[in-house]
Amino acid sequence: MAQKESKVKLKLFNRAEFPLFSFFILFILCLVLMGVDYRYQILPKIKSEFSIITAPIIYLINLPKNILNESKDSFITKAILKEKIKNLEQTNYSLSIQIQENVLIKSENKILRDTLRIKKKFKIKGATAEIILPDVKNGFKILTVSKGFKDNIKTGSAVINNEGLVGQIINTSKTYSELRPITSEAYAVPAIMNNSKENVILFGNGNGGLEIPLFPANISIQINDTFITSGVDDLYPKGIKIGRVTEIKPTNSPKFNFIVITPFSQPTTFSQITVVNKRK
Amino acid sequence: MIKKTIIEQKKEKNLLIVLSLIAIFLSYIGIPGIENSVIMPNYFIALIIPFILMKLGNLNLYKLVIIGLVVDVFVGQLLGQYAFIFISIYLADYIVNRALVIKSGKQVFTLSFFLILISFFILWISSLSYSIFTPPKIILFQIILTAITYSILNVFINRSISR
Repeated sequence: MAQKESKVKLKLFNRAEFPLFSFFILFILCLVLMGVDYRYQILPKIKSEFSIITAPIIYLINLPKNILNESKDSFITKAILKEKIKNLEQTNYSLSIQIQENVLIKSENKILRDTLRIKKKFKIKGATAEIILPDVKNGFKILTVSKGFKDNIKTGSAVINNEGLVGQIINTSKTYSELRPITSEAYAVPAIMNNSKENVILFGNGNGGLEIPLFPANISIQINDTFITSGVDDLYPKGIKIGRVTEIKPTNSPKFNFIVITPFSQPTTFSQITVVNKRK
Repeated sequence: MIKKTIIEQKKEKNLLIVLSLIAIFLSYIGIPGIENSVIMPNYFIALIIPFILMKLGNLNLYKLVIIGLVVDVFVGQLLGQYAFIFISIYLADYIVNRALVIKSGKQVFTLSFFLILISFFILWISSLSYSIFTPPKIILFQIILTAITYSILNVFINRSISR
């Protein structure tokens, strides 16, 4: 069958002149279209009009992919779930450790802040240190402090913390010192009651508390009354909290009572303290 | 001048329509295995270049503008963007053919790669998300993938026409 010849002028190997005018017109048209579209957002409107046609096509095109993804999610294997649980447990574990660290840091921060406040309140000058080791020497409880005479810590200096009086430095070396706590049997501190002017001396009982063996019975005293340092010895600053009365016992003599005091400060390892500079 | 029969012209037009539909289809799905959906060839550039180079489908500037506007409606960012690219390809092809004699397959491929580069440059400067800091790697991947797609399409079109 003979093929019908096209009447249209073909462009194959056509070396005719370039339609420059048409190109120029179309070039300008395209630029104008782009500018107008950018200015008035025409294309999104056209696309939204065409979405009636394009949306089902796009939906059908993506349908196999979507079905595959959904089926993957539905048939997720047991092994993957186990692995996820394991990872979550590990994350949980590391986070719990971080929480503990944060609690410790928070606690230390509070102690340091309180320590600084005490310094300001009583105008106490001293060095901040840390208890690194509790120990017992010759039957007395001794605490080792992280600073020594290199840090200007001297024997006999009073030691306080944010809660109150801690004890006294009894021995110093270059890098560490030894501290006798107020509850030690060989410890004594002049004190006054918070609500009276009676000077008394508190003694450590070696059992986690302090005591006044002979407290005058004519002086009013009640449970939860507090004792503070009197400052008469020029060793301890006046007004440092010592402890509160927890027990009042009668003695053999009706003129005196036996008073048991529980200290406010019960320092443990790694707690912060302040070693007060000795007064000259 | 070698004249084309109406059957040949119809064949070329049908081929253009079918391949355009396939290009629209492919442009809505990413390449399997590649997470970044931006890394995909520009199917329309890869399709139009062989048709312009081989003077198929009786394409002229007006037809290219209309095709470009249709492409813009489907995948374009700006109205007239692809129309602008297509007429630029047409102009570049004309200038090169006036200055040089393109005969061998290597020359044709070099010319087509040059046209792909021009197209991407126009696409880049006219992009709404134009950024001078666009990751060059992504553009490079797109250019390479478009060149590969062009090569495949070129072979396919040649075989389809020669039947």
